[in-house]
Amino acid sequence: MLMLMSGAYNRQQFAERLGISVHTFDKTTRRLKDIAAATSSQSHAEALDLIDAVRHTYYETSDPILLFLFRAKSLKESESARISIILETLHAQTMTAIELMDVCSSMPAELSIPDEKTIRSDLKYLEAVGAIRKESTTRPYRYRLHNDLLRELSEDELTDLFDFVNVMANTQVPSVQGYLLQDGLKKQLKHILPEDNPFIDPFLYKYHYHSRILDEVHLFTLLRAIRDRRRVQFLYFTPKAEKSYTAQQTNPLFERQSAGKQHKTLPLKIVYDHQYGRWYLLGMGREGIRKFRMEGMTHIEEAEAVSEEVYGRKTVELMEKLQTSWLIDTGKPIKVRARFYNPSAGEQHNFIKHRVLLQGQWGEIVEEDEESFIYVISVNGIYEIKPWLRSFGSSCEVLEPRQLRHEMIEEWKELHKYYESI
Amino acid sequence: MNPFEKIFNYQILSRLEDTGTFVVTAYERTWLKTMLEHPAANEAFTAETLLKLRQMLSMDIVMDTSEYLIEKALTQEKHVYHPLLRPLRRLISDRNGMKISFIVKDGRENVEHRGFPYKLEYSMVKREWYLLWFHMRHRTFMSTRIEQITSFSEQPISPKTADQILEKLSLIKHARKSEVCIEVVRDYNQELSRIMYAFSCFEKTVDYDEEHDKYQVRIHLPRDEYEFLLSKIRFLGKRVRVIKGDYLKKRMLEASTKALARYGIETMQLEEGLIPIESSLYTR
Repeated sequence: MLMLMSGAYNRQQFAERLGISVHTFDKTTRRLKDIAAATSSQSHAEALDLIDAVRHTYYETSDPILLFLFRAKSLKESESARISIILETLHAQTMTAIELMDVCSSMPAELSIPDEKTIRSDLKYLEAVGAIRKESTTRPYRYRLHNDLLRELSEDELTDLFDFVNVMANTQVPSVQGYLLQDGLKKQLKHILPEDNPFIDPFLYKYHYHSRILDEVHLFTLLRAIRDRRRVQFLYFTPKAEKSYTAQQTNPLFERQSAGKQHKTLPLKIVYDHQYGRWYLLGMGREGIRKFRMEGMTHIEEAEAVSEEVYGRKTVELMEKLQTSWLIDTGKPIKVRARFYNPSAGEQHNFIKHRVLLQGQWGEIVEEDEESFIYVISVNGIYEIKPWLRSFGSSCEVLEPRQLRHEMIEEWKELHKYYESI
Repeated sequence: MNPFEKIFNYQILSRLEDTGTFVVTAYERTWLKTMLEHPAANEAFTAETLLKLRQMLSMDIVMDTSEYLIEKALTQEKHVYHPLLRPLRRLISDRNGMKISFIVKDGRENVEHRGFPYKLEYSMVKREWYLLWFHMRHRTFMSTRIEQITSFSEQPISPKTADQILEKLSLIKHARKSEVCIEVVRDYNQELSRIMYAFSCFEKTVDYDEEHDKYQVRIHLPRDEYEFLLSKIRFLGKRVRVIKGDYLKKRMLEASTKALARYGIETMQLEEGLIPIESSLYTR
């Protein structure tokens, strides 16, 4: 994660690229600062501060505000110039490695002229990431840009494609690759549309968890490990180790905590929690089921593989326990009964019932009368469902279990105290 | 699949942009191919385009994410795509006006109102689309659920009028927002990360008071979003307290009083005259 911040952008580039902000970034940057302090002696404070300088307004763009992080891989000037020239050239016509070498020899004098080996390795790289492809099957190979998606669609089709990619990247997971593609499509559209009919992005997304794409960083590393049935080891920062960011820097206790802890686990499933917009890794260690928030993971490395049999058995075990978890609780299932009160008679639309049906997962409405209805669900533990029930305010009364009912009363009493003096 | 490939590097990208060269990688194609399997694809493209896309992607692989990825607490998706998205987006990009008929709250139909559409908005909470438009006769900004639109047709509008409407919009957009302030109750500082995630969908700034070890979240939002913020505050329960925003405080007092009454616990008398907020500027 840290290499993201290491100077691939200067202040102005950041601002230009964003034109927006990163309000959701506070916690992430602070977290990065933490991790930076724990894992490196370098100061990243300067890079992080600029985030505060950029402000964002919703209602103006559907661009993901944190995507720039994925653009920040640092590259040598000569390498970025060379790769750009190769791609530009192949955009206009197909070429062989030798022909490309000639083209590159016209590179600015201050950058060293690449040799054949370098060009061949660039081509190999570009082919591997699918940006170019071989035109012929016989040597010498001729290469061309692999961008039919942009070139062979009509303007109208490109618009449809932009819309689809925009909608899917914003509403589905994973999304980073979609956002990158959307970027390319938008540029192509801007390029081909006439000046009197400029490109307009017509979409907005309300209440988005912008920071979710940051955690996608680890997604594919972990997916690969799961696919290969390999254990992973990583450094993990638990939420408990979280402390005030500046005040306790000198506290030796905190120093120890912030060092993170080395973990090793067999990754089985990845969970995306829509309630908070958070990613989790679920795995199996010696102690049984293990759960990790992906934002707290860093330095992930693959370790030894396990047999298909072990992987299969552990997955079945996990999935059985996960079946009735609201999020990721794998404790014992408990029956929760709650009465929901319909809105007052004046309301045409029963938005309470509507929301329960949309968000109540596998729970069921078992009884109903004019005033209220009863919702029942068998769910692992009471703690993950509790915030959801509480979010309904006085429209929800917990009936069972007793403990949850009791806790709910105590919490409402406490909340009442917060506000009774106003 | 590594999202940090150097091919995505900003310097390369900006260089290529200058010459009109655009690159698509295998990662993006794989993602697209996977997404094209979603039923939404059938509504997003004509059959012909869809076929063309699938042919172009025939050599690419499909992601195996669905096998290992589980989504929890997902609101049931009413729709990801809607058949009206395609024609409406074209009205918007042509900066055209429209005549629109739609069902209002009490079930009546408003027939052929003249309007200017400017955005399509998806609510991540309700998982459905809304059309944002300007009502020409009432001079108000409207938000209409796409499902409630019964018909619409193109109705030319002068570029000057369109500009005026968009200008008016950009003016009121900021004026409509007010600031509220929410404090993280100190005992729950350990849960800061979770709390910030819950607020991450708002436009906000976070302040830290070193002396008292306290975090404050200042949120800027229009009044018609107070209901959603309130549900988030109730969601977080004791972890947070509203410290600036009289309306929110009153509503929280009311909610706690009424909730306790449900459990048979009487507290002080309810304050008089509290009415739930209506969508004041947006009429539905």
